[in-house]
Amino acid sequence: MRTLRHWLGSAPSYAVFLVLLAVLAATRPEMMKLNILGIFFRQVVPLGIVVIGQLLVMRVRSIDLSLGGVILLINYLLSSGFFGQDHLLWMVTGSLAIGLGVGLVNGWLVAYRRASAVVVTLAVGIVLIGIVESLANGRPPGDVPDLLGELYNWRPGGIPAPVVLWVLLVTLMSLLLGRLVWGRQVDAVGANPEAAHLAGVPVARTVLGAHVLCGLMAAAGGLVQTASIAVGSLKFGPELVLNSIAATILGGVIFGRGTGGVWGPFFGVGCFALLFTLMTTLGIDAPVKLIVQGAIIGLAAVVYGLRRP
Amino acid sequence: MWWIPVVALLAAAVYLSLATDRFATERNLTNLVAQAGPLLLVSLGQMLVVVIRGLDLSVGAVISLTTAIVALELPAPVSLPLALLAGACVGLVNGTLTVRFRVHPIIATLAMAGILQGVTQLLRPVAGGRVPEVLGAVVNGSVGPVSTPILLALVAIGGMTLLLHRSRLGLHLFAVGGGETAGSFGVAEGRTRITAYVLCSVLATLTGLFIAGRIGSGDPNIGGPFSVDSITAVALGGTQLAGGIGSVGGTVAGAAFLALLSNGMNLLNVSAFVQTILKGTILLVVVLLQPRKNIGL
Repeated sequence: MRTLRHWLGSAPSYAVFLVLLAVLAATRPEMMKLNILGIFFRQVVPLGIVVIGQLLVMRVRSIDLSLGGVILLINYLLSSGFFGQDHLLWMVTGSLAIGLGVGLVNGWLVAYRRASAVVVTLAVGIVLIGIVESLANGRPPGDVPDLLGELYNWRPGGIPAPVVLWVLLVTLMSLLLGRLVWGRQVDAVGANPEAAHLAGVPVARTVLGAHVLCGLMAAAGGLVQTASIAVGSLKFGPELVLNSIAATILGGVIFGRGTGGVWGPFFGVGCFALLFTLMTTLGIDAPVKLIVQGAIIGLAAVVYGLRRP
Repeated sequence: MWWIPVVALLAAAVYLSLATDRFATERNLTNLVAQAGPLLLVSLGQMLVVVIRGLDLSVGAVISLTTAIVALELPAPVSLPLALLAGACVGLVNGTLTVRFRVHPIIATLAMAGILQGVTQLLRPVAGGRVPEVLGAVVNGSVGPVSTPILLALVAIGGMTLLLHRSRLGLHLFAVGGGETAGSFGVAEGRTRITAYVLCSVLATLTGLFIAGRIGSGDPNIGGPFSVDSITAVALGGTQLAGGIGSVGGTVAGAAFLALLSNGMNLLNVSAFVQTILKGTILLVVVLLQPRKNIGL
């Protein structure tokens, strides 16, 4: 009983997830099938992968608002055939290289130049969006390579491949944070950067590493996001940034504190999957979705602020 | 660092008057002030929040919401106070969330921006509607030979200078932004910070009214760029994003420089997309020039 309470208390997302699941089961019992829920969970995989990066930078007291720009750029390059049409290796390495580059720039500016993370990542995001817009010059990009679409629809063992990738990445990150020295260093920097520095933790390098991993996750999220649509688009990105912060906070991770670990934010994204399912089946419009998302961020943050010692 | 935007401003102005013969005309300069006015107003508000170590990412959404409210085609004596009241409430909620509930300002104002965008899209899904005629008459009119945007800009600069550099509230804002100890010297820390957020949102509302007067209708997306632009202008003006340091003069120079930049690039036929890239790059360079003690937000 006590461990259950401890587990539920570590992040708001667990309780919210159970409540939403119960609401869905009560209002739309026909949706409670594994293959239908699988489809809805597959939709939030880009968000889920991006959140892995966002939670990492938020644990070292930073933030990444450039994710939207990274995803937009990767989506544009993939769907306009920049990385070719039929070589998966090229598409993946090309996308990851972009994520790595953006992560390095963000990380260097934030960690070594000590510039404000909000301003840096906001500015990098704007530059990336500007690059995409001037490349596209008002024209929408072409079709997404068929290969990506096939991978997206692949179901090894009945589970959608994107969901498998997501769980795999979350597990890896959980091992990285829980079992490796680097994970301890992330904890130390988040808890108190000055104390961490005095204890010999390479603070700047840890923050840089978090931003680089976050850039890579944004790239991976961009790949899945692109695979999920047939034709390229210049439209998405901004709401993904907002949602990634929301899911992270809902998962019990806030600047410098990581009580929710990696699985708290994982279920935070799960909450969004259920929420989208509910709102779609109940016929709620996009503006109301925005309001609900904003309210969730605010409420989760208030609950967390009140519990802060 | 305050001289950087001033020098950049002068250099840009000299270059533009030499490079194109359309820059130094009376018509373009009046236009320039009308373009710079909204950015100036919203940046002055943003500066107040930045001085107290906060950040307001919801000003753009407040601007959009304001244009949507005044374009509801209610009578002016109803819609104008309604818009101002809405703005003040937004600031009050932002301030209360950050001060009383200890939510991080980025989170609080980002959540607020999402909610306001939703409300704005409900009120006005696409651009349209008509705003009260009095707004257009004020914004596009002139008093004697001087156009009203110039007068309004001067009033805003003067009022803000008095508030920040000559009043007790201004002193308290700097004290609260300067460190954790302001409270022990008798400054009502929480109230001062909430006041900064309220003033910021009210200034964003005034910006929205100004813009609504210029375009004559409501637009759910018009405020979008202003959140980032105002931060750029404030940072460009030498206000430290770590709080405690800032000046009205610097912010005016920062906003003027950004407005001059887009005006000049329009005259030189630089595409809007390249302008976006350049704006982001300028913001990056500016934060690079501001050394800070701590890593992080």
